[in-house]
Amino acid sequence: MIDLRDVDLDYGAHTVLKDVSFQSGRGEFLGIIGPNGSGKTTLLKAISRIVTPSNGTILLDQRELADFAPLELSREIAVVPQASDPGFDFSVRDVVRMGRYPHIGRFGSERDEDRDICCKVMEITGINALTDRSVRAISGGELQRVIIARALAQEPNLLLLDEPTAHLDLGQQMVILQTMKNLSREIAVIGVFHDLNYAAHYCDRLILLHDHRILAMGDPAGVLTEDSIRTAFGIDVIIRSNPFTGRPSISPVYKPEGRNRTCGKVHVICGGGEGSDLLQALHAEGCEVTAGILAVNDSDYRAAKALGIPCIVEPPFSPVTDRSLGELTLALEDARAVILTRGLWGAGNIGNLRVLESANIRKVIILDRQAGEQDEWDYTGGEAEAILERLAAGGAIRVKDIRSAAAAARNTIGGEPCTD
Amino acid sequence: MQKREYILFLLLLAAVVSILVCTVIGPAGIPFLGLAEDESASIILFSVRLPRVIAAMLVGFGLAAAGVVMQGLFRNSMADPYLLGTSSGGALGAAVAIVFLGGAFHWVLAFVGCFAATFLVYGISRRGGRIPVEQLLLTGIAVSMFLSAILSFLMYTAGKSLHQIFLWLMGGFWNISWNDVWIGLFIVPASLALLLFSRELNIFSLGEEDALHLGVDIEFLKKGLLLASSFITGIAVAIAGSIGFIGLITPHLMRLVVGPDHRILIPASMMAGGILLVLSDTLARTAGNEVPVGVVTAFFGAPFFIFLLKRRYME
Repeated sequence: MIDLRDVDLDYGAHTVLKDVSFQSGRGEFLGIIGPNGSGKTTLLKAISRIVTPSNGTILLDQRELADFAPLELSREIAVVPQASDPGFDFSVRDVVRMGRYPHIGRFGSERDEDRDICCKVMEITGINALTDRSVRAISGGELQRVIIARALAQEPNLLLLDEPTAHLDLGQQMVILQTMKNLSREIAVIGVFHDLNYAAHYCDRLILLHDHRILAMGDPAGVLTEDSIRTAFGIDVIIRSNPFTGRPSISPVYKPEGRNRTCGKVHVICGGGEGSDLLQALHAEGCEVTAGILAVNDSDYRAAKALGIPCIVEPPFSPVTDRSLGELTLALEDARAVILTRGLWGAGNIGNLRVLESANIRKVIILDRQAGEQDEWDYTGGEAEAILERLAAGGAIRVKDIRSAAAAARNTIGGEPCTD
Repeated sequence: MQKREYILFLLLLAAVVSILVCTVIGPAGIPFLGLAEDESASIILFSVRLPRVIAAMLVGFGLAAAGVVMQGLFRNSMADPYLLGTSSGGALGAAVAIVFLGGAFHWVLAFVGCFAATFLVYGISRRGGRIPVEQLLLTGIAVSMFLSAILSFLMYTAGKSLHQIFLWLMGGFWNISWNDVWIGLFIVPASLALLLFSRELNIFSLGEEDALHLGVDIEFLKKGLLLASSFITGIAVAIAGSIGFIGLITPHLMRLVVGPDHRILIPASMMAGGILLVLSDTLARTAGNEVPVGVVTAFFGAPFFIFLLKRRYME
């Protein structure tokens, strides 16, 4: 329905976007993401014809956007801006009814149909109780919902949202975005998002803008990668797949604070995703961390990579080899503490435990299973459990959670600030 | 809706009553019963007072309607009809007529001055077919100051016409004839033309971009409103000089009574503006020795405006 072809957008002499091409249509919720100043809002303004492209064409239903009369365009496209200033004391009802102007025009009068539509959209946006209130006497979140209702009253085929939930609390954000998601089954919705998790969860497709161009476009899992986010936003994140929705879920990696930096290495033996949070915690504590042995398809490996933690790696679904066991021995000798995460032990990875037992480490910290966690974890016929028992008997510390594990590691290697 | 129509009807009634009552009031007592026989009373009533009262009503209509439109257009309830250099343009035009033409055609030149000033401001603010509202506002202030400087120079060198310019600047209706009323009648259709834009003006008051998204042809709207309101203001200034505060206070007051909807606000403000100006002028000509009406409107308008400002601040 909306079709951008090689669009360039300038702001005076300054290029905002170059060579932007994409299409979107009914039934799609398209998200535009990118750092501040990357041109998200300008792109939206080009689609709503506030900004004219310096090059390229924008087609709406195969027609040039520039050919639409103002009223005609407002029956096709509605916009919810970032913020609105109500100006005078209009009532909520009056403002929502202004959304019918594209259908009524200058000289027409309101029909029953117009009133019905206004009632419907006020119900959808949950502002029925506010009907007679002045738009200057309601909260920012309520005003935003009034503006969304007004946009819906236009009965558009394309709805443009510029950070529609910026002024809403968490609960309202989800309600409004779900409403938009439902709407996108019948019309096209294009929204600018700052919150990457919302974008990942609600949008069918994402466009990531960076450096005046489209850096990535496609389904959320394809667009939101550790690499693309590092490039666009300059931060490290860990991306997991939400087990219920299958959508990517992004958590930022919090950088260690300078005063907590310590010298001394900690090695983490992990796998199966059990180590990701611990690696982050240790990284945040300022510990120098190594990890392994990890298979390259393990999410712990991806986490370690995102954090810049050196790993000993093996190909997927392979037993550990003598080469990597040798590397592990070296890493353990180098480390001042070793943390063993919860995990499943089998023929493929029992080598880790054997090396650990023989390495005579000064300090071993074992992250224990939670009480009541009865699932089978030892698939080595009792060998893994026996090694853990011997380690515990030999002075290993058993801890219950990640925080205690990280704290124990810090205590062991000393919390003095780094001197070099 | 019913309530709004009721208020409009009351205002219309009040306007008619104020015309009738204010025509009768005056320094020369008019014997009602003996009117038919008393020729001088009849002249005072029909050739002096009635045209004066009607002209005040029409000018009040116009200033209030233009004030509503300016406030809507600038989304600011502090705007008034003289914002775009209209009053200083009109004053300069009148002063030129007084100094160089001995006062002949002074109302024509005043009207031309108003109109020319507005279009000068409009022309300067125009950028690529668009007129950014804040640009319009700032240009209006700059052009006003420039024209005022020329006016000051004219007054400085005017010699014995200075008093005449000064009187004109304060605004008043002392020299009104039926001819002024006929000219003033143009204000009515022009103000009603503003009413055609009232729905767009409602939408526009939520912001220019919002109006654009809702399909309002905002450049056409701005041009149409500026043209009509400067025409109205030009006529008002040509008849009575630049009378302050009517165009500023009335829309403010009526917004409190009927709300911000321009479909009702424009006619309500017109009536109220007319009534206020007729009452002010009656006070001006009965209190002492013909005080300029601009003095009366400013004397009562300014404190009232401060009261409104304070009230707004309290909210």
